[in-house]
Amino acid sequence: MKKFNLFFLLSLLLFPLVGTAQQQTASLNGYITDAETGETLISANVALKNSRQGTSTNTSGYFSLPNIEAGTYTVLVTYVGYQQITREITLAPGESRRLDIQLKPQGYQLEELVVQSESDQEEERAIGTAEIETEFIKEVPSVFQADVFRSLQLLPGIKSASDFSSGLYIRGGSPDQTLILLDRTTVYNPSHFFGFFSTFNPDAVKDIQLYKGGYPAKYGGRLGSVLSIFNKDGNRNEFEGSVTLGMLASRASVEGPFEKGSWMFAFRRSTLEPLLAVLQQSQDNIPESFYFWDLNGKINYDANENNKLSLAFYAGTDDLKFPFGDDANINLNYGNQTLSSTWTHIFSDNVFSNFTTTASRYFNFPSFNIASTPFERSNNIYDFSMQGDIEYFPNDNHDISTGFDLSLLTLKIKDRFDGDLNYNSRIHSQYGSFYIQDKWKISDQWTLTPGLRLNGFSEGSYLRWAPRLSAEYRPSDRIRLQGAYGRYHQFLTLFSNEAFTGFDAWFTTDEGVPPASGSQYILGLKTTPWPGYAFDVEGYYRTMENLFEPDPFLPDQAGVPYDETFRFGEGYATGVEFLFKRNIGRLTGFAGYTFGVTRRNFPGFNEPIQGGQARTYPPKYDRIHDIKVVLNYDLNSRWSASTVFNYATGQAYTKPLGQTAAFNFPTSSLDKQQLIVGKVNASRLPAYHRMDLSFSRDGTFFGLGEAQWQFQLVNVYSRRNIWFYNYDLDENPAERQAVKLLPILPTISYTLNF
Amino acid sequence: MNRFLLLLISIIIISSCELYEQDDYQEYYVVESYLIADSPLPNLLLSKTSPIEEKYSFKDAVVNEAEVEVRLLNADSTIAERYAYTQNGNGTYSPTAQAKVKPKRLYQLYISLSNGDSIEAKTFVPGNFEVLNKDQISKEYTYQSDQQVQLRTTPSDYITDRQTYYIFTINAVNPDSSKLTPFYRDLVIDQENSIENFTINSSGIINEKNYERNADDTITLDVPWLSIAFYDTNKIITNAIDDNMYDFVRTQDAQTGGTSLSPGEIQNIRYHVHGGIGIFGSMASDTLQVQILRPDQQ
Repeated sequence: MKKFNLFFLLSLLLFPLVGTAQQQTASLNGYITDAETGETLISANVALKNSRQGTSTNTSGYFSLPNIEAGTYTVLVTYVGYQQITREITLAPGESRRLDIQLKPQGYQLEELVVQSESDQEEERAIGTAEIETEFIKEVPSVFQADVFRSLQLLPGIKSASDFSSGLYIRGGSPDQTLILLDRTTVYNPSHFFGFFSTFNPDAVKDIQLYKGGYPAKYGGRLGSVLSIFNKDGNRNEFEGSVTLGMLASRASVEGPFEKGSWMFAFRRSTLEPLLAVLQQSQDNIPESFYFWDLNGKINYDANENNKLSLAFYAGTDDLKFPFGDDANINLNYGNQTLSSTWTHIFSDNVFSNFTTTASRYFNFPSFNIASTPFERSNNIYDFSMQGDIEYFPNDNHDISTGFDLSLLTLKIKDRFDGDLNYNSRIHSQYGSFYIQDKWKISDQWTLTPGLRLNGFSEGSYLRWAPRLSAEYRPSDRIRLQGAYGRYHQFLTLFSNEAFTGFDAWFTTDEGVPPASGSQYILGLKTTPWPGYAFDVEGYYRTMENLFEPDPFLPDQAGVPYDETFRFGEGYATGVEFLFKRNIGRLTGFAGYTFGVTRRNFPGFNEPIQGGQARTYPPKYDRIHDIKVVLNYDLNSRWSASTVFNYATGQAYTKPLGQTAAFNFPTSSLDKQQLIVGKVNASRLPAYHRMDLSFSRDGTFFGLGEAQWQFQLVNVYSRRNIWFYNYDLDENPAERQAVKLLPILPTISYTLNF
Repeated sequence: MNRFLLLLISIIIISSCELYEQDDYQEYYVVESYLIADSPLPNLLLSKTSPIEEKYSFKDAVVNEAEVEVRLLNADSTIAERYAYTQNGNGTYSPTAQAKVKPKRLYQLYISLSNGDSIEAKTFVPGNFEVLNKDQISKEYTYQSDQQVQLRTTPSDYITDRQTYYIFTINAVNPDSSKLTPFYRDLVIDQENSIENFTINSSGIINEKNYERNADDTITLDVPWLSIAFYDTNKIITNAIDDNMYDFVRTQDAQTGGTSLSPGEIQNIRYHVHGGIGIFGSMASDTLQVQILRPDQQ
């Protein structure tokens, strides 16, 4: 059966190439950019008005429309937030026309309906995908500062673990099941403030593409989803910058042109020192110092119209010094560094390519010194890769992509206790992958995208095929029916805690530790009930096999065989997501509802107390119902307001049923209290709900530039949602204590653009 | 379309019904006994669990009038010797005759109750070991000086040839709050923890592979300053624990947090008792006594 599937997929990939000879046809290709900044626009739509031909730009802002009958056409280019543009062109037989188009931002418009081409929002509404704009991130209410991940958590199918966590729990998967890329480079710990914020500075971000599921063959290495973030190229026309002063952190960015290119730098740093100084005067157990910072940069050089070079980097660090008692302190330093260089080359009017080398480092150095007994960890990940992606547009029915990724991955963990090296792990592995995919437009109604990916991981010598297939049927202009299937493999697993990401450590497959695998099945219905509105439904079912996670019961790894340091299990997730969106008028926004179920099973865990088979249980972040409403209202040309409301089923927790104690335990002076539990996570916390408000006022700063005040109120009615219950067994009977999430929080920020 | 939506909504409503119901409380017998190599057979406590909402007291939970027997087993699991126990107070049972626990041997606990229930558990006693350098160890150590207490022990064998799991315990001989070392003084005086928490201070589980084996197959172990809670006389006890104690300690620690489990996710402790819960564990240990001086006492 597997052989048949492989043959079937290869046939799908190769069959379309038959009969693609071009005769007496012309082609159109080029870049779509922002007229003011020169930034390339990703997923902009290009359509020939008097034909049904159309396409959208790729992640480099490039499009290609081959196989056009010679003649005169009106080219329509649209992109959300930009004025549409039309161009009359006449194509001669055999002509290959380069047409680079600049779009102007819409500026302030009310009640205006943007006319959209038939292929508009093509990519945005592809199966399993979601996109958010950076403006959205800056507009929605947020805790202390705008945050990419917290904005993503507002979308259906994406959940947060708590108010304190920016981790992405997508379609029933844990955060390590999402591949996070910054300018094509893997980021291993995308968090600041131990998980409270994500590392991505909204000032630097240009585009965010999220594949919640069913992601294409181009990507691999994670069971669930892919988040691909591209930073800005920098303004190619003029120097500009912005400064934002916030309560927790402040940030500044500058960008500008140079001859044949552009540059961008964005810096952000926490500004907690004054607050810490005040707290240290009156409170115990306040950190001696804590700060985080990050720096993003990008330099682009446009060698000629067919060759572009770019160099992008990111560096960020969190640093904590915390004396937590007499003769006891903890120091923690962790962060990420990424570097990528990309050569974008257009081989011909219908062959486009990107070649990228990337380097990514994640490090964390926690150290404790308690009563002159030091514990130190040195944890480093080095990931070097070479990637190539080639797109071939043989005709207007096919968009063939192929590519490779060759990586060297090194994970090093060294633990020292009391001066002695007591754990030393160094895993050095090669990872390779190759993919091919064809987006085959069979007819105006049908599009089929078969793909195949081959993954190889040297540690343990694992080779895995990953077939992918998606299909779309458009019975009318306003309805799209979609389906997708994919097989996914994951060679890494994350040791983390939802409450604190500062100690995160990654581990790989090896002998006896096979990669996790899973299948995804997705069905979707995308509709446009009225112009400017969208109503989407998407259902999914995911399997998770061979899940491997660090054994939470293992107290000491020293001398334990590598495969015995993990627990192995399986799981599944299923759900339906509804999204209703309004894009026009003063009032814009969306409402989303997700019904989702996710389960795990690990032998040896959640077994009946007297023994028996492990029972399948929901992880804590399982929420069955999740409603989110995001609204933005433009009060006038200066003031706007936005609100976010979230209601969700309470998270799963384990309710203890009984208790006992060991009274004479020989290594303890105290009784060893024991909780007796039934099924793990079979109880639910009270439902979670919260409303946030934000008001923005635009103005100018003494004529020097545009400025914006932002006033926000998080948790308007101060609902004290519960994070978890703690059982205090020192009390008799045991006392249940609720650990609560954020109370009402006002925040204010000021942004100056110059 | 309407039918499709109706079907979808019906599926969601049906699926929303929680099929993963919480269990009801169930009462279990609880045993507690620890065999220490080359020491007399220990007492055994027998009780029942209590619902979480109720006040727990051992006195109210005891199980009396049980027939308790500890058996020494041969390698083929046949019984080599039987040791009868008799009730010696509420829920406490003691061996009727003196007998020493033999290292590297398998013991079985068998309890029959008047209602016909029975409880059974087994433990393999780790091989005894010896601290070889007792004579060379200084009797006095200055707290947090460069010279730490360093032990050289023979290895402890186990039935499965696994590495040894150690727990160090430091028992303060005459503990009082004036003798607390600075870190523990802060915990007791400033953070209002009970001094009782630290009179027997435990290192937690430390794998043998943290230490190098010497050329003569002995193991050198450093006692970390962190484990010293009191100045003055301390007994330093090195314990090699069996699988039952290993599983009990590590899973009981996980119940109190500090692992990768999400807060609020509580897993049961891993017991190895049939017909009940609790611990029938064993260990081998060796003790030495040292004097810990204050830094300014030198």
